[in-house]
Amino acid sequence: MKKLAKSELKNLLKHWAGEYRVLAPTLGTQGDCLLDTFDEDSFTLDYKKTPLPPKSAFFPQSEAIFAVEKGEYREVISAKKTLLFGIRSCDMMGILQSASFMTRDRLDVYSEAKRDAATTVVLACPGPQNETCFCTTMQSGPVARKGFDLQFFDAGEFFIIQIGSGKGEAALSSFPLVDLDDDLADEKVEAFRQRSVGAIARVDSVPEAMNRLKDRTADEGVWEHLGQKCIQCGGCTFVCPTCTCFNVCDHPSGPGQGLRERSWDACLFGGFTREASGHNPRSTQALRLKRRHEHKLLDYHETDIQGGLCGCTGCGRCSDFCPVHIGTLEVARAIAESDNHAKD
Amino acid sequence: MVGLAAAFGSGAMTNSIGEFEDADLFLVTGSNTTAQHPLIGSRMINAVEKGAKLLLIDPREIPLARFAGLHLRQNIGTDVAVLNGMMNIIIEEGLLDREYVENRTEGFEALKALVGSYSPRVVEKISGIDRHDLEKAARMYAAADKAMIVYAMGITQHTTGTDNVKSCANLAMLTGHVGRPSTGVNPLRGQNNVQGACDMGALPNVFSGYQSVADAAARKKFEDAWGVSGLDDKPGLTIGAMMTAALRGEVRALYVMGENPMMSDPDSSHIEQALSSLDFLVVQDIFLSETAAKADVVLPAASFAERDGTYTNTERRVQLSRKAVSPPGLARPDWKIICEVSRLSGYPMDYGSTADIMKEINLLTPSYTGITYPRLETSHGLQWPCPNEEHPGTAYLHRDRFSKGRGTFLPCDFRPLAEPPDEEYDFLLTTGRIYFHFHTGTMTRRISTLAREAPEAKIEIHPEDAKQLGIRNNDMVEIASRRGSAKARAEVTTCVPKKVVFSTFHFHEFPINALTNPALDPSAKIPEYKGCAVKVRRCA
Amino acid sequence: MTRTRTVCPFCGCGCSFYLVSEGDRVKGIEPSPQNPVNRGMLCVKGWTAYEFIHSPDRLTVPLVRKQGALVESTWDEALKIVSTRLNDIRTKSGSSALAFLSSAKVTNEENFLFMKMARAAFGTNNVDHCARL
Repeated sequence: MKKLAKSELKNLLKHWAGEYRVLAPTLGTQGDCLLDTFDEDSFTLDYKKTPLPPKSAFFPQSEAIFAVEKGEYREVISAKKTLLFGIRSCDMMGILQSASFMTRDRLDVYSEAKRDAATTVVLACPGPQNETCFCTTMQSGPVARKGFDLQFFDAGEFFIIQIGSGKGEAALSSFPLVDLDDDLADEKVEAFRQRSVGAIARVDSVPEAMNRLKDRTADEGVWEHLGQKCIQCGGCTFVCPTCTCFNVCDHPSGPGQGLRERSWDACLFGGFTREASGHNPRSTQALRLKRRHEHKLLDYHETDIQGGLCGCTGCGRCSDFCPVHIGTLEVARAIAESDNHAKD
Repeated sequence: MVGLAAAFGSGAMTNSIGEFEDADLFLVTGSNTTAQHPLIGSRMINAVEKGAKLLLIDPREIPLARFAGLHLRQNIGTDVAVLNGMMNIIIEEGLLDREYVENRTEGFEALKALVGSYSPRVVEKISGIDRHDLEKAARMYAAADKAMIVYAMGITQHTTGTDNVKSCANLAMLTGHVGRPSTGVNPLRGQNNVQGACDMGALPNVFSGYQSVADAAARKKFEDAWGVSGLDDKPGLTIGAMMTAALRGEVRALYVMGENPMMSDPDSSHIEQALSSLDFLVVQDIFLSETAAKADVVLPAASFAERDGTYTNTERRVQLSRKAVSPPGLARPDWKIICEVSRLSGYPMDYGSTADIMKEINLLTPSYTGITYPRLETSHGLQWPCPNEEHPGTAYLHRDRFSKGRGTFLPCDFRPLAEPPDEEYDFLLTTGRIYFHFHTGTMTRRISTLAREAPEAKIEIHPEDAKQLGIRNNDMVEIASRRGSAKARAEVTTCVPKKVVFSTFHFHEFPINALTNPALDPSAKIPEYKGCAVKVRRCA
Repeated sequence: MTRTRTVCPFCGCGCSFYLVSEGDRVKGIEPSPQNPVNRGMLCVKGWTAYEFIHSPDRLTVPLVRKQGALVESTWDEALKIVSTRLNDIRTKSGSSALAFLSSAKVTNEENFLFMKMARAAFGTNNVDHCARL
């Protein structure tokens, strides 16, 4: 492992910015912290969860997939050499999970190209970012176990840098760094991990809900109630690190000219499953919510146990950004609690 | 807004969006909030889940009805009677806030005398609301500590719109429900800068900050600042009057910036004739709207993403929005186009940026004096009134006194719809918006997700009426009024009451404003979109 | 990728969000969690508000009616026609023959300038917008 004095971090980022498009935590004049193009003045280490997970760097909200110009067809695969600095372990898990999904049955060349061109630098989480964090429950954090190219640990005056891949190694190759004794580093990292795990509470209702969904003992009334509240904004899917559904739409701009774009879609919209006949197999908001949450918590239940790639990473954004509190945490609690009532 | 200004001294929302979640009771009337103001509707849902009560007064079974403790479905256009009835009960049962009425209001005796004739039985006859429900509603509202009245176009888009608003204000003052956090009267503005357009004086009778053109001192102030003399002291024409004047040959030229009256105004064939009879029509817009297609000159403008500037939301919050990308092709921001037209017309206006324009607004508009770009840059906006640069802005209005001093009770008698149903036109048509689209659809219908979710207009009709007319879900249906007709597919639903059909004005291929009644509210000049007589038939 | 703070162009809530752009193309939306109006939450219209910006239907050049049809023109020609026609009508029929329809969708600054133009440059109070509709 390597060691970097904290005072040297900005120099390292500037060094990287010469070679990569660097995305890093940025503090705006109005107090919002976003993962945006690195800028020395607005860069911050004092940041919380960014509203969007880094998935937008691999799978933007909208992107052209092919263009027709003067009748000629041209596939559009765009990728820039990018370094993402300061992503959290839950989001690293999100990147792995969606990569696994988008390469499984058919290779999604558009996101694959961006992943190939990307270097991921995780900053291990020192504790909960806010009250909706539950990575320890989903086994996705606070420290990344795999998939990263580099992982930084805050060790007071300096960062310990764990190298996770050849890409990570390459990123450090031309910057002077101090080697750190591996045993000492392991000890410090383990201490960091234990402190942090201790600070992020486990949420028992989540595994409880997963089990009840699996056993089919969840109260169906929960979906009815939640379905009445849902305002169909799609926000929970847009901010989810593992949601990768998209819609495809053509934008003709003249004879023999136009773009085909794909853009984020959400299974909570009626049109997502409406068939050409007008029939909709998921005809109510209750059914749509049920399917979404079963997909997140149930369908990946086994893979979670085996491979650690659950549909939910415990980042808590769906709870942060739902206008009417229908995030995974609230849903899990409702399922766990309602079931208990049923038993009483 | 005329009604609220007359009662309180200010026509704007009295409270802030952030205060919604702490209210004890919402009286929502004429607002399909989860569809039209979703981020306010969701706050109401959250408040109800925390224990707040929702009293809904709306003829339609809108999504919020699921959360209503009590839902009164009045006959369309009978709002004044319902509100008077509630006030009568409150006075009769001694539930009014006597101290508040005595110390902060005027005109109570006249109100008492007028609402005295609106007994629950009388109101039941007019509105169709069960008298016991009316009593429950009156007691619910009067008993709440922090009660917010929330309304939108369902209240104002009537020939009695101003009376409806005044009646809401009367009810709130009677029970002391104005001037505290989470307590007040809250008209929700329908477009992102309606409030700002009004504040800036894009109105025939006032300069910015509601300074009257009839006021010599105000005119002098603007004449001095603008280096002109003899500013007109008589109010100009409202939209409706412009159209009528165009038909009569009195208005010869019309300059339209970012509006689409062909789609949004009532009785569109009348609008079309008016526009056709002009000598000159110039339209400045981002799309070739139905109105722009009729213009002599069309000027391409920048969208919100392509310009700097501020917008004032429904809670009076002025927020700065920055340019993200360049306008397409040769399109330019509206402010630059205006400067050019003015310069070429012999009155140069030179501004280097929108910040420079704001400096002039600060200077001439007392409620905006402290709202400067440097402050907006580092904050999440400022709520007017904000009279100086140290002022933090105003979260809720009328704290210790009303803007005009004492609040004035403005009692109103019930007046029926301008065009009630009759034997031939036996249905009422009421119009509005749906969740997935906005206004005339020029923007939202070009968004693929929204176009997919709501691809076409629907005519909502009650199952019993549908059965009688042989109409099934998705059948093509024609509705016709005395002015025009339109066809769309039926949506058979109990969301609308019997003998009422509902539809929207988002779809140009379903021009519903060919049917609507241009009859106006006498003071606010708002057309009666919420009720006109139509006949309904299934297309063969 | 650049993020620019804007205000939603639709209803009166005034939700705030960032437009995520690459070069001159807006690719998406990122909400503003600190904003007190919407606290990072948006409705479906807000979440998809980026899409119409690049619609091929956008007006990109001034159009002028010639022989009954709207044809592409230049700013110089279009602006000259506008100012000449407005001034001619004013001279012939008076200021009250002009009318100005402003917009609830443009900025405060633009509304202010538009009413200033109507009143100071063209001498009429015939200025309104669609607050009522």
